[in-house]
Amino acid sequence: MTTYIYGIVRRSHPNPPIDMGGIGDPARPVRSVTGGELSALVSDAPENLRPKRNDLLAHQNVLSEAGAAGPVLPMRFGSTAPDDKTVAAVLEERAEHYSERLEALEGKVEYNVKASHDEEAVLHRVMGENPEIRTLTEANRQAAGGTYEQRLRLGEMVVQAVQAREAADAVEIQQELEGAADAVSVGPQSSGWLANVSFLVARDETEEFLASVDKLRGDHPHLDLRVNGPLPPYSFVEPGPAPHAAQTAGH
Amino acid sequence: MTVVPAQQSGGSGGTSGLYDVLELVLDRGLVIDAFVRVSLVGIEILKIDIRVVVASVDTYLRFAEACNRLDLEAGPKKSPGLPDLVGEITESGARGKSKGALSGAAETISDAFRQAREEGKESQESPRRTTKRTTPRKRQEEAE
Repeated sequence: MTTYIYGIVRRSHPNPPIDMGGIGDPARPVRSVTGGELSALVSDAPENLRPKRNDLLAHQNVLSEAGAAGPVLPMRFGSTAPDDKTVAAVLEERAEHYSERLEALEGKVEYNVKASHDEEAVLHRVMGENPEIRTLTEANRQAAGGTYEQRLRLGEMVVQAVQAREAADAVEIQQELEGAADAVSVGPQSSGWLANVSFLVARDETEEFLASVDKLRGDHPHLDLRVNGPLPPYSFVEPGPAPHAAQTAGH
Repeated sequence: MTVVPAQQSGGSGGTSGLYDVLELVLDRGLVIDAFVRVSLVGIEILKIDIRVVVASVDTYLRFAEACNRLDLEAGPKKSPGLPDLVGEITESGARGKSKGALSGAAETISDAFRQAREEGKESQESPRRTTKRTTPRKRQEEAE
């Protein structure tokens, strides 16, 4: 029977979500596989496992539940092993590495912040900052929208200004929030956000972090900020700079 | 034994929050090479490319239009630090154009933008349906 792995906890975890419903339909009950001082939260893997929404949510819920009582290293969705024995062997083999990570993440949660522009508000802002765009807009308006070339020229200038603002805002978002966080991980840019950044925040400092977000929101009405958390520390499972950290937040 | 899942998401909540969380579940987290990962074909549907401003002729024209129609007098999220701008444009430009017409146009822009967001939400509701769609980014690049 193939084994599905949700995450890794200490063997001494005070309240692992044993018997909680995991992935699959019907939901496969969560159990633990122990190797040395570590335990993996696992369940049987359903056949033909696919990244379906319900299964993604089940994965997430098991990890949230485990994380509420002690540190957990979340696996990326979809990890399976041929059997429990293989899982136990991996735990023992890399015990030192995982124990170090669990210690580093103790008492910490992830907050993911995604930002996009409120289009109307950012256009107001860009016009305010750029007299040339204002002038050109006015000229086009007088000329019933302007010629194709005029419209193209205005649009090009506006797009450049908006893109510059996206890059500047991405940097600023990170700068404004990293002070309230222990670590930062910049997510992939391809998802269509001007910023997609995760912050590792101590559980007892989440209020300060959220206050920083509120302040950022108040100071920048043209930003649409989406905050999700507290989450299992998906973006902080590897030590040091996370794989994405080398990228800048802009594009 | 009943286990109530801990609250996993705060902030904006709703379906948008769900999308944001699923992206993390799929893209981040520990990968161990001794384990086999389920094939993630079809996952790219979770990427929303709608909100990135791409340099292309289509985008230029759209933004030029948006500027022409921008309601400079109103706007709930108008940047508070720009009173000069509004004054200036009103004096020199809005001459002869009715304010009502401008406001109406601004609403249209908002609608288009909202629609873009809703398309994004749809792709969470029924991910498979959108797999074969060309993303707007690609389409715009092709138009260049």
